[in-house]
Amino acid sequence: MSEEKKIVHDVIMIGAGPAALSAAIYTTREDIDTLLFERGVPGGLAAITDWVDNYPGFPEGLAGLDLANNLQKQAERFGAVIELGEVMKITDEGEFKKLETTSGDMYARAVLIATGSDYKKTGVPGEQEYYARGVHYCATCDGAFYRDKRLVVIGGGNSAVQESIFLTRFATHIDLLVRSTIKASDVLQKDLQKFVDNGKITVHLNTLTDEIVGEDNKVVKVVGTDKATGKNIDFPTDGVFVFVGLKPNSEFVKDLVDLDDIGLIKTDANLHTSVPGVFAAGDIRSGATLQIASAAGEGATAALKIREYLDAREHILE
Amino acid sequence: MVKNITIFTTNTCAYCAMVKKYLDVKNHKYDIVNLDEQPHRQAEALALSGAMTVPVTVVTKHDDTREVIVGYNLAKLAPAVA
Repeated sequence: MSEEKKIVHDVIMIGAGPAALSAAIYTTREDIDTLLFERGVPGGLAAITDWVDNYPGFPEGLAGLDLANNLQKQAERFGAVIELGEVMKITDEGEFKKLETTSGDMYARAVLIATGSDYKKTGVPGEQEYYARGVHYCATCDGAFYRDKRLVVIGGGNSAVQESIFLTRFATHIDLLVRSTIKASDVLQKDLQKFVDNGKITVHLNTLTDEIVGEDNKVVKVVGTDKATGKNIDFPTDGVFVFVGLKPNSEFVKDLVDLDDIGLIKTDANLHTSVPGVFAAGDIRSGATLQIASAAGEGATAALKIREYLDAREHILE
Repeated sequence: MVKNITIFTTNTCAYCAMVKKYLDVKNHKYDIVNLDEQPHRQAEALALSGAMTVPVTVVTKHDDTREVIVGYNLAKLAPAVA
């Protein structure tokens, strides 16, 4: 029986966010055959971020979508190929890594996992029931449906604050429900204060979210608890945006590489995982700083380490 | 066979750009309803999709049957325009 012909790439990158796209710019410039798999949007969470003010080289800031498009164009200019699909499983077969994908089985000499994270859910009653009909996770996609309406935003980190500010373009008022204290950067907190001062945003610290309540197929209020008094509070609203942290997209490699307690991939200083030839970079990596600039830097580092790894293997094979 | 395609979008929606890119690659023409520029058409998008989100892609076939795809969902979009 003839053996099925293997499709082999030098490197397959899983994800096409800032880390993988930066890595691909480096690998493809050095003629390393590179394929990227992306199941969502090239650019990842950066692409759905309203505005990026802290990416070096853009003194006025730029739209997250524009940054994502530019990174993609730059990687494609050097020959990177982005396949829209998903990698379900990776098997270490020594010299080659086998990837089971929505486009069939593929093989790579090296793999870069740069799958990042998705926004977490709160898990409260009503959240799933009213998904996309009053409960949302993407302000830049769904904010326009809340022109002249009231909103609740849940969360206290950078995303919650930044997206609350973005949503003031549409909403008449936003209640920001924060479980403990605001964890956003000082710059964002200063920006937030302007909207608090003009009455567009009210911040409710130490407030738990208990339930999202709807009537007639529409969200009408969020029920919370003031942690200081233990009393329930109703927040009347037309919609809810949830930004309560990130969930690592590492489920598909949990049996392959070592993960930390929250599911992020452990690497050494060379961004090498516990499996030879498998690297990780960006938000999926344990110890990552969750910044677009850091992800791009890690992508560049990963590309150089992948090249070293491939060169070393070539010597061994010779 | 596809008769026409309409995409409800906004200026800031990354998933809308992906739908447009996919249709461009497949050489499909489409009309765009930008809800930032035409907010009065939000109710139309909501009625078609049942969801307060974009992109909403409406694929009308030659027999005037219609398929509505919510979000960037290649598993539904690809066969709808094939």
